[in-house]
Amino acid sequence: MARWFALRALRGALTVALVVTFAFVVLRMSADPALVILGPEAPPEVIAAFRKSWGLDEPIFVQYLDYVAAIFRGELGRSMRDGRPAIELVAERIPATLALTLPALALKIGIGIPAGVWASLHRGTLVDRAVMSLAVAGFTVPSFVLGLVLVLVFSVKLGWLPSGGQDTWTHAILPIVTMGVGGAAVLARFTRSAMLEVLGQPYMRTASAKGLPWARAIRDHALPNAAIPTVTIVGFMVGTLIAGAVVVESVFSWPGVGRLLVVAVSNRDLAVVQCILLLVAATMVASNFVVDLLYGLLDPRLATGARGAGH
Amino acid sequence: MADLATAPTRRFGFALPKLPPAIALALVWVIAMIVIAVFADGIAPHGFTALDLKHRLAAPGEPTHLLGTDELGRDVLSRLVASIRISLLIAFGATLISALIGTTLGFLAAHFRGLVEQVVLMLADFQASMPFLIMALSVLAFFGNSLPLLIGLMGLYGWERYARIARGLAISAGSQGYAGAVRQLGASPSRIYGRHILPNIASTLIVSMTLVFPEVILMESGLSFLGLGVQPPMTSLGNMVGYGRDYLTRAPWIMLSPSATIVLTTLAVSILGDWLRDRLDPTLR
Repeated sequence: MARWFALRALRGALTVALVVTFAFVVLRMSADPALVILGPEAPPEVIAAFRKSWGLDEPIFVQYLDYVAAIFRGELGRSMRDGRPAIELVAERIPATLALTLPALALKIGIGIPAGVWASLHRGTLVDRAVMSLAVAGFTVPSFVLGLVLVLVFSVKLGWLPSGGQDTWTHAILPIVTMGVGGAAVLARFTRSAMLEVLGQPYMRTASAKGLPWARAIRDHALPNAAIPTVTIVGFMVGTLIAGAVVVESVFSWPGVGRLLVVAVSNRDLAVVQCILLLVAATMVASNFVVDLLYGLLDPRLATGARGAGH
Repeated sequence: MADLATAPTRRFGFALPKLPPAIALALVWVIAMIVIAVFADGIAPHGFTALDLKHRLAAPGEPTHLLGTDELGRDVLSRLVASIRISLLIAFGATLISALIGTTLGFLAAHFRGLVEQVVLMLADFQASMPFLIMALSVLAFFGNSLPLLIGLMGLYGWERYARIARGLAISAGSQGYAGAVRQLGASPSRIYGRHILPNIASTLIVSMTLVFPEVILMESGLSFLGLGVQPPMTSLGNMVGYGRDYLTRAPWIMLSPSATIVLTTLAVSILGDWLRDRLDPTLR
């Protein structure tokens, strides 16, 4: 068990290391880091001091270690636009993003999973087909198209809801729905196929053969087993809580991390982009780790190694 | 399942007349899109950058501008045709690059095993666990933007899926008689993988391509919608939606026709992909 946790932690650390290396390589390949971090208008003596303090005259390997050390100290550079620390700029946007992504996640789970389970238990009926058609539509309609169509209907034609901005809670409705619908569709599709897989297993037949009421067989045997693939998808959705709103925030001019990223990319504000990249990697790794722990709870065989090394 | 078992042949020439209506519609749509993309210059009634300032924001239905015009009087139909060409070009190019990279890495992993395999699998895990949009945006921030860079960048989308599939299939093919036989005959590894294993696993890879392709279209249109993908004066489907957004109230037709094209094209390719998967390779389900 301890070894299993250690392996998972190591894998997470490795992913973060890869992202840090990726950021280091593209940063060094694209421009002079002194100009990138300090901005083009920094006075020459500041640049010289920066070069010295970051050891830019050192060999590239030493530079890399210094870069990693700076990240651990939370020194992620300053925004080129207003000179504030990038980490501050990003941190103050996080609440606005979570205000959209958390309710959207609840919507995805609250609609997607029950719809998928329901469709799997009523396979081939009209409702099953309707759920699956909606699921396919939810996958093929990009969020910016859905968002704009919702704006066109509910803001422009009907005038019920505001089309953009962040002044009242009604402003959040359309972005949350836009984000939630697609995710719910994906989740419904996955839950349905996971359930169908489980329902075809011999132990389900055994359960009903030994006289277990079907509803109990579903609750005690089918749902826990179907939960494993579903948890993976939910885990990925949790991992994108911070950065999963790039497109939707842009559609609705919502001042969150995603909007900040788009603006930073078009201004080539590299310190901010790098900070968001690392933040996203850290959330992904954290959520993957939690998903792995949940696997261990849902399927003890995985944690004890009875299924091999976890894969 | 039953019809699969009784199907006398998998040759498409014979299967075509019996296609289910949804599949036939999807096929017609995809072929239409390809024809439009290839013959874009002949089909478009106007140049896609040609201004017609007298007819700015004209509603659809006019004989000279069937789908209306945008804020500069440019013909929406002509822009749509040009956008389909660019978007399909990027999606095709990116899907091919991604399949090439993924299959090569998968074969390398299968051939060398050991450390090479571990590195490939680790990179695949990494790629699968990071949101692609964020990675793509970071690269664009660092390197700026151009069409070749965009195609190359989108070519990294989904490579890990081909790598995993190619590795798994190549490992199991390598232990089969035919691979051993050509190896005994002295064929080089590149010949074994390129001429013997690849044709045997091609159907699975092609199915994967049809499943990745619509995602590439969505990803490119998302980037272009954000103004970070295809740059003006060039135009793509996502690009049109992005610029049409500013005229949502006054001229919704600017963004509606490219939106519908994105949705119908991804839908059609997905339907075809699912259908191909069910027919050619039930193991992928």
